[in-house]
Amino acid sequence: MAAHPTRRVVLAAAAALPLAGASGCGGVNVLAAPPRAAPDVALLRSAIADEQLLIARYVNVLHGAGNPGGSTSAARRGGAAAALAAALEPMLAEHRAHLAQLRSRLVVPAGASPWPSGRAPAGPAAPTAPGAAAAFLRAAEQAAAAALLDRLPRAPASLAQLFASISASEATHVPVLDTVILDTERAAR
Amino acid sequence: MSSPAPSAPRPAAAATAALQSALAAEHAAVYGYGIVGANLAGSRQAAAMTDWVAHQVARDTLEAMIRSRGSEPVPAAVAYRLPVAVRTPGQAVSLAVLLEDRVATAYLGLVALSDVSVRQFGALQVRAAALRAAAWRGSTVPFPGLPASALAAPRPRPS
Repeated sequence: MAAHPTRRVVLAAAAALPLAGASGCGGVNVLAAPPRAAPDVALLRSAIADEQLLIARYVNVLHGAGNPGGSTSAARRGGAAAALAAALEPMLAEHRAHLAQLRSRLVVPAGASPWPSGRAPAGPAAPTAPGAAAAFLRAAEQAAAAALLDRLPRAPASLAQLFASISASEATHVPVLDTVILDTERAAR
Repeated sequence: MSSPAPSAPRPAAAATAALQSALAAEHAAVYGYGIVGANLAGSRQAAAMTDWVAHQVARDTLEAMIRSRGSEPVPAAVAYRLPVAVRTPGQAVSLAVLLEDRVATAYLGLVALSDVSVRQFGALQVRAAALRAAAWRGSTVPFPGLPASALAAPRPRPS
């Protein structure tokens, strides 16, 4: 842990809040700017690798959705694929935002490469059927959200907050994917 | 209660302060959801009731956590100044989103503490608030509870 976590994680003035007790007291914490000190680099690198893998899964699913292949029931699959892509794009954008924030926290020693292995991983092949693809991503989101929570005990305060926020964001993708799976099942009937 | 470790800057006091801030946010949410529910009908009113109960449970949990640390929980304010007038269902939904965002931010304050169990509790509550907020908002956000000031401007990536 950092010697002075309060330097990184600052409590904001209650005056800044639009919703405060009418008595004038109370309020919630607001967080500080990212830290200058180097956080746990290994912890951050593993979180970055997980986020890259999640992005690769989305990219692979979207690539498959854009190229459904096969000629049987192509029209139906095309419509489902388009609906899948429309649902996935905003979540992929959020994962890219997660990755950018995680990378911005990476403070590496001078001379060392900040990018461990160059390019992002290719990720496993994704199912092409929309329902199966959504289920594939749902499982990946749950695993990624849980992995971030597992990293909390070892993370410096500010990084723990970022991990918890990203984990919560990934958890909110699960019901979205549940809806996609349900819609796909309904359309297939 | 044991005295704080000498190397840490009074972690017990920091934990109590963060728990009190989370409790204040939950008090505001319990108050606010009463107004949210009063301006909704049908399934959305039922959803507001469910969330109202969830905030009451969280409030009670926080009060117990604060008492177990030997402190007196902060009381709810008699009334809260709402950031927006709530007269329509749309405004009620906006208030619900705002209440959840505030609660998520307050629980992120717990995630910054050194006590691992409080950290985990805070993170689970951030998730719960984010799920409720997303349901009300009808969409997701990348950083639940984190204000823009806590996020770094993206830096250029090497190619």
